[in-house]
Amino acid sequence: MWRWLNGPGKVFRKALPGSTNYMNAYDKQGNLLRTRNAGREAGSRRNKPEEETLEEDEETAARRDLENPDLTDEEPRDEESDARGGIPKERRSDMRPYPLNDQFSSQAVLSEELREELYTQVAVYKHDISSVAASFSVDIRRVAAVVRLKTIEKQWVAEGKRLAKPYSEAVLAMLPTTPFRPNTANPVTPHEPINDIEVHAHTRPQIFWPASESRQFTREDAAKVFDSKLLPADKRIPLPMLVDLERWKLEGLDRQERTKKQIEADDKARREEDEKVRKRTEWQARTQRVVQGRRWDFKFQDISAEKVGKDGRGKDAVGYRYGMPHEDRKRGMLKIPTSVE
Amino acid sequence: MVLRLRLSRTPHPLGARRHNPRYNIVLAHARTARDSRPLEVLGTYNPIPTLPVGAEEGSRKQKEIQVDVARAKYWLGVGAQPSDTVWRLLSMVCISA
Repeated sequence: MWRWLNGPGKVFRKALPGSTNYMNAYDKQGNLLRTRNAGREAGSRRNKPEEETLEEDEETAARRDLENPDLTDEEPRDEESDARGGIPKERRSDMRPYPLNDQFSSQAVLSEELREELYTQVAVYKHDISSVAASFSVDIRRVAAVVRLKTIEKQWVAEGKRLAKPYSEAVLAMLPTTPFRPNTANPVTPHEPINDIEVHAHTRPQIFWPASESRQFTREDAAKVFDSKLLPADKRIPLPMLVDLERWKLEGLDRQERTKKQIEADDKARREEDEKVRKRTEWQARTQRVVQGRRWDFKFQDISAEKVGKDGRGKDAVGYRYGMPHEDRKRGMLKIPTSVE
Repeated sequence: MVLRLRLSRTPHPLGARRHNPRYNIVLAHARTARDSRPLEVLGTYNPIPTLPVGAEEGSRKQKEIQVDVARAKYWLGVGAQPSDTVWRLLSMVCISA
């Protein structure tokens, strides 16, 4: 053990800055695997472009350069490797904390700067959570969670409570993180795919559904086949505005028109939201009243007692229920559906 | 028979009855049993003061009452007699007549 600790195990005592500290990244002699391989790769990459440039003309080369993120964001890349002390970025195989479990590779978590930025965007600039999620490529639920936790954190700081900073710093130093680098060419690093539809439990079974050839069978129909209440995929998508954006792109609208449409849609959504809030407050002012008592208040809500229906058993009727048995098994009570869609 | 506006104790929606009083504000004939099926249910009354949803700890508690004010007014207008408790509650919401 002591031999290992003073030999190959020495590297694990202090984690590399800006890198994970997993055993898989090192060989048995304690050498970092990726520095060895990087030299080889860089050599082969250096040879490659010369062969290619002979064949393609300038235009395609320029386009390829634009599309290739490796070439456009050279500055941050340099800064990044400087921060790590010139060591190349981890490969997928270096991200496995458990050497015997090939299937598990640790996923990046949000860095402290990115969390702060998300909070600022939502809480300070009052941007829509969904658009923040789209622009930072972070799941909409994660953005909401970050905002909530950051709010609590700031509240604690204001109250003078101690935060477990050393702990969080130690954990973040060991995990791969998604950085946020303002004032660089490429500030945002995509964190995760954001517009994936969850696999709903109702869509799991394999169903053979005969449909006539003459009839259109759309995603709406498919959803209904799985479950009568299941929404179609287009409505279960987390950020439908991204789909709209792509659709407008395909329609051939240019950037300005797309932005204009986006702004219009946002305005419309905001107006609808305002209208909803206004109606709600109006309704509250009309129907609710709080009367001050000596020790507690009485809150009155004006309701309609007439929702009981013809048989006096309406489901939405006011009041706690009286014991009345369900009559649906009684003779003569028809449960056959009366309409067919 | 005299019509009365009174409270009728009902089981708690979640089941337990003991120490969990919940009332319906009902219109019933005066001589029927308290919890028998009424002519009409006009609202509910929760006599246990609770913190409003989202309120901070220590703020004033509220007793929640749902009532169809127009309907109650109508029944009072045609001669239904409120019990003392219902009188007290209804007098808080604009039923002064």
